[in-house]
Amino acid sequence: MDLSTSQPEFDYLFKLLLIGDSGVGKSSLLLSFTSDTFEDLSPTIGVDFKVKLVNLGGKRLKLAIWDTAGQERFRTLTSSYYRGAQGIIMVYDVTRRETFTNLSDVWAKEIDLYSTNQDCIKMLVGNKVDKESERVVTKKEGTEFAREYGCLFLECSAKTRVNVEQCFEELVLKILDTPSLLAEGSTGVKRNIFKQKPPQPDPSASTCC
Amino acid sequence: MVDGLYMLENKASLAVIESMKTVRELSWSGVPSYMRPDVWRLLLGYASPNSDRRDGVLTRKRLEYLECVSQYYDIPDAERSDDEINMLRQIAVDCPRTVPDVTFFQQQEVQKSLERILYTWAIRHPASGYVQGINDLVTPFLFVFLSEYLEEDMETWSIVDLSPQKISNIEADCYWCLSKLLECMQDHYTFAQPGIQRLVFKLKELVRRIDEPVSRHMEEQGLEFLQFAFRWFNCLLIREIPFHLVTRLWDTYLAEGDALPDFLVYIFASFLLTWSDKLQKLDFQEMVMFLQHLPTQNWTYQELEMVLSRAYMWHSMFNSSPNHLAS
Repeated sequence: MDLSTSQPEFDYLFKLLLIGDSGVGKSSLLLSFTSDTFEDLSPTIGVDFKVKLVNLGGKRLKLAIWDTAGQERFRTLTSSYYRGAQGIIMVYDVTRRETFTNLSDVWAKEIDLYSTNQDCIKMLVGNKVDKESERVVTKKEGTEFAREYGCLFLECSAKTRVNVEQCFEELVLKILDTPSLLAEGSTGVKRNIFKQKPPQPDPSASTCC
Repeated sequence: MVDGLYMLENKASLAVIESMKTVRELSWSGVPSYMRPDVWRLLLGYASPNSDRRDGVLTRKRLEYLECVSQYYDIPDAERSDDEINMLRQIAVDCPRTVPDVTFFQQQEVQKSLERILYTWAIRHPASGYVQGINDLVTPFLFVFLSEYLEEDMETWSIVDLSPQKISNIEADCYWCLSKLLECMQDHYTFAQPGIQRLVFKLKELVRRIDEPVSRHMEEQGLEFLQFAFRWFNCLLIREIPFHLVTRLWDTYLAEGDALPDFLVYIFASFLLTWSDKLQKLDFQEMVMFLQHLPTQNWTYQELEMVLSRAYMWHSMFNSSPNHLAS
């Protein structure tokens, strides 16, 4: 159980973050990736967390993935999870225009404000392509946004699992190509990414008694 | 499990029980399901304890809810502000995914009722507006007030069998009971949710006092209470236990009245420490995942009663020492 004494089960540990509007399918995308299933999920409250071991680029990788709530009210809570992330996945719903426009209005700004990692790899993901007849955001628009913002881009469906693994794989391969991120993810410093502290309320102002 | 309930029954109808204090004391240990709608309305201060006035007040309140719905909900989007449109959209996205594992809540008419209740509540409580998780909080009320009209097994319930008048009354009761419940927790859902932050901090301090080894282990692993307990407070444990146990848990919640927020800290400490031994064997990642998907699927009343009675005991032990939570 104690990772410091046993043989590490992986070569690198990366911290990834899922962000985007409420209801675009962040949790479904993560569930589809980590357990090959799709089911109706309740809205995420605060943050959720999952781990997946993968073999990529000849390396054994452990991915620690934080899934954040999309609603604005939880943003003070979720903002602390950007710190130290090597990869950030921005998700929108191709059937809801506002979830796409909020990428530049809201989510890109959040990254600028809270991400501490200059080299952090960003990936844009348009979800729900299984609902092709309801699509309102074209693939071209996604591509253009990604080009302008300088990030990776894929369209996928958490429901049919089309492109789900590719979303994570492309992101991770790019992280493996980035020396500064690779250094952060090496097993020697693996514990540090968890030691970050979310902001605490001021105890002197808030205790009872 | 629920001796108090039978006493309550034997004392004949609620009308003769003058003292709300007695109702509270007896309800704390669980209310028989057929009495629950009446008892909950009383405990929340929605129905009048005076039986002569009760029906009149309920009729008036139910009309008032109907007026709110027609004034705020049944209007074209053109008459709403951008913020209101966004809020309605968010509620519409969330209603179909409210307790998705209980099929009853998948009926479209149930989701429409939920949408009307939530939107009306949110418009009338602008300091918080709609916050995700409040949708979960309506579900025990919907279940209990529907149970006045529908037979035993919830899986077979169909809301379309009810008259529009009945549905409207049920919605109104849910709306007013939700409003009353959240009165003592207003700052749980306002900007940055300071009420929840404060209670999570108290929970951490209480756990340290009760169970130093597990507290130390969590700290050494870098686990923050906010990483799991935030949702507990935000949804009042609805996400953490099987739905059929929720109403029993809420009997105790509602019996606590205005003291509920502070008592939640004791219930949640007791809930967490159910797995004290297990937690001490887990590392950070295992702990986060364990705490976000607790193995309560097969819980019965017995496990829940254990959590509650231990919470009661700790509350008696620690709450009397004045500075028990000062760090």
